[in-house]
Amino acid sequence: MSNFEQFHFDFYQSNYTIDDQEEGCNSYGSDKNLCESRKSQTEKQPAAGAFVPSDMLLSPQSYTGQILQPACSPGTLSQFGYADGFDEEPPLLEELGINFEHIWQKTLTVLNPMKPADGSIMNETDLTGPMVFCLALGATLLMAGKVHFGYVYGMSAIGCLAMHALLNLMSASGVSHGCVASVLGYCLLPMVILSSSAVLFSLQGIPGTVLALFIIGWCSLSASKIFTSALAMEGQQLLIAYPCALLYGLFALLTVF
Amino acid sequence: EEDGEFLGMKGLRGQLGRQVADQMWQVGKRQASRAFSLYANIDILRPYFDVEPVQVRARLLESMIPVKMINFPQKIAGELYGPLMLVFTLVAILLHGMKTSDTIIREGTLMGTAIGTCFGYWLGVSSFMYFLAYLCNAQITMVQMLSLLGYGLFGHCITLFVTYNIHFHSLFYIFWLVVGGLSTLRMVAVLVSRTVGHTQRLILCGTLAALHMLFLLYLHFAYHKVVEGILDTLEGPNMPPFQRVARDIPVVSNAVLNTTAKAIALT
Repeated sequence: MSNFEQFHFDFYQSNYTIDDQEEGCNSYGSDKNLCESRKSQTEKQPAAGAFVPSDMLLSPQSYTGQILQPACSPGTLSQFGYADGFDEEPPLLEELGINFEHIWQKTLTVLNPMKPADGSIMNETDLTGPMVFCLALGATLLMAGKVHFGYVYGMSAIGCLAMHALLNLMSASGVSHGCVASVLGYCLLPMVILSSSAVLFSLQGIPGTVLALFIIGWCSLSASKIFTSALAMEGQQLLIAYPCALLYGLFALLTVF
Repeated sequence: EEDGEFLGMKGLRGQLGRQVADQMWQVGKRQASRAFSLYANIDILRPYFDVEPVQVRARLLESMIPVKMINFPQKIAGELYGPLMLVFTLVAILLHGMKTSDTIIREGTLMGTAIGTCFGYWLGVSSFMYFLAYLCNAQITMVQMLSLLGYGLFGHCITLFVTYNIHFHSLFYIFWLVVGGLSTLRMVAVLVSRTVGHTQRLILCGTLAALHMLFLLYLHFAYHKVVEGILDTLEGPNMPPFQRVARDIPVVSNAVLNTTAKAIALT
């Protein structure tokens, strides 16, 4: 890992380093130690916030000589970057910002609505989990014989816009589109359970209606729990749960009929 | 001349034209963004969404209880969260009713129709009533009108929720009169308390009562057509039993027989 840090410090001597490291800090909160050590390294750089042209003047001087020399020492070999640094590059998932541990944590939070949620889990906007759950919902609907991918995505998008407007009006601190989309997407998971049960038996009847109502309650309870803990709106959980219930009720209508 | 000579300098007309167009675009963009930030500022609506669940529940129950005090202006909660949620609930109930009765909307979608109907009623009738209130010199603001009419939809939601699932015409009429009537009376009492003069009170309250009750009637009959078919078969004892009568149209059957014979003879 120290070799990796050294590689970054030496090779990227431009703004790109700082931005890359800042993004890294925002993406995974669990790697805080790594981020802090990286940040201290950037502060040591004299031209940390300098414009790109001046940095570009420095960087050719530092490595151009090494590129022209065919025989290189093993220490500087790593500074060639992409030709030989395939092992040194960050893994693809880390670059894309997909952190399976966090996705799993958030999924568990959704699946257990009675457990109090941590307000900081929604600080990072993660849309991978929601996309997977929307696709899973579409796929399970497909298995039940309904091709409704467009409806799922359309209703998700419009629902996110509406919830974003409502939450911005109701909360003291604002909320971003990504955060709302992320929360609503994660809380769609119980709906996937409902649509997969629709494959096995028809939901148009009393047991189907009861199950649909239960799943709607589960989804909206999870979503409102996460929203109230993230936006510090304790007394208004029911007021947020109701619009979420209406939105998930639409998904349930899509699944049942 | 053809090659754009203006004041002796070639190409200046084109350049001047471009500069003028550029300037006009910049000014227009600046004005549009200023107007947008002024009117589309969602923060204007922020105070109307500051409510507690207890308050919403109390206002929902109060919307069904007419208050007889008409000599002093009654208090109206200027709040938009409850009415907005009630409109969305009405949309959901309409959608559910349309889905269970397999209603087919030919030009449009189910969702679009439901949203258009409910929001159109809420916003349209509120604006119309506000205009009438302005003409009749009533003391009511637009937000108060929206709030009053929105909470009045609570009766509609209850009625439709019950009667879309339990299909009896007489039950619907009872609900229409009792529940619809109570919420209408509540709104009428509020308006009467805020208007001076008999003619004005009559105009305002008559219009509101008519629109409110007719809307409920429309929602029931327009979006749940299957109800009619089911009820006709359910009213068994009063109707004569279905009789099978042989279709006997001799003229037509002879003509068909002759043409068929001719057709077979030809082949």
